[in-house]
Amino acid sequence: MCVSLVMAVWALVDLIRGRSSGRPFVIGVGVFEAFMALFVIGGVVQAFTTTHDFAKVEFCGYLLGCLVIAPLAAWWNRGDSSRAACAIYSVIFLLMPVLILRVQQVWSGSYGA
Amino acid sequence: MAPNQTVSRSTAAGFGRFLIAIYALFAIAATSRSVVQIATKFHEAPVAYALSSVSAVVYIIATLSLATSKAHSRQLATVTITFELVGVLAVGTLSLVMPDAFPQASVWSGFGSGYGFIPLILPILGLWWLWRTGRNGDAEH
Repeated sequence: MCVSLVMAVWALVDLIRGRSSGRPFVIGVGVFEAFMALFVIGGVVQAFTTTHDFAKVEFCGYLLGCLVIAPLAAWWNRGDSSRAACAIYSVIFLLMPVLILRVQQVWSGSYGA
Repeated sequence: MAPNQTVSRSTAAGFGRFLIAIYALFAIAATSRSVVQIATKFHEAPVAYALSSVSAVVYIIATLSLATSKAHSRQLATVTITFELVGVLAVGTLSLVMPDAFPQASVWSGFGSGYGFIPLILPILGLWWLWRTGRNGDAEH
C-alpha cells in the first residue's frame, strides 16, 4: 500500500511538471507489480488453505484486479509521456490502496459484492 | 481547407486517453460486480443486479467506441454515453424515491454515491469531450 502511495505521489508530481519520468517510472511500476504478485500469491494460498468462511469469489476477483490494473495502465500508456498518462497513473495508484482495503474487508466478512 | 469544413479530432487523444482509461476501469469493475451478483445472488435483488449488468455493457461499449476511430464510433459513443447519463439520473432518482425497489445497490444507485459520484460525473465529461472534439478543427488551435 505504501509503494502504491509513493507511486501515486510520483505520478502527481509528473502531472504537475507536465511530463512523465519515462523509464524510471515504468521500472517503479514493475517493482510495484512484484509486490502485488507476492500479495496476490499470499492471498490465494490463504484463501484455499484457511477454514475461515468468507466470500472467496469476491476475494479472488479483487486480488485479480490488484494484479492486472497496473500492467493494463502501463500498456495503455506505452510510448505516451503526456499529462494524460501521468493522470492515469495517479488515479490507478490512488485506487490500489482502496482495492487492497476491499480485499481485507472481504477477508474479514464486512464487505460483499 | 474550406472555412466551414468540420474537422473532428480523435476522441482517443489527449484528455480522451484519460477518459477512456476511467471508462475501462468502470467497465472492469461493473462487469466483475454484475457477474458475481448474477451468478451468486440474483434472486435477492433482480432489478438492482440487472441494472448492474446494463451499466457494465454501457461502460464496455462507451470504452470501445471512444477508443476506436471507425466511422460510426463517435455516434455510438454519443448514444451510449447519453443513455448512461439518463440511466444514472433515472436510477439515482428511483433509488432515492423507491428504495424498496433497490434492496441492494447497483453502480448507478444514489447517483453513483458508492463510487464517489464518478458514475454521474463520467457521462457529463464524456459528452463534453465528444462535443469538444467534434467542433471545427480551427477552434482547437
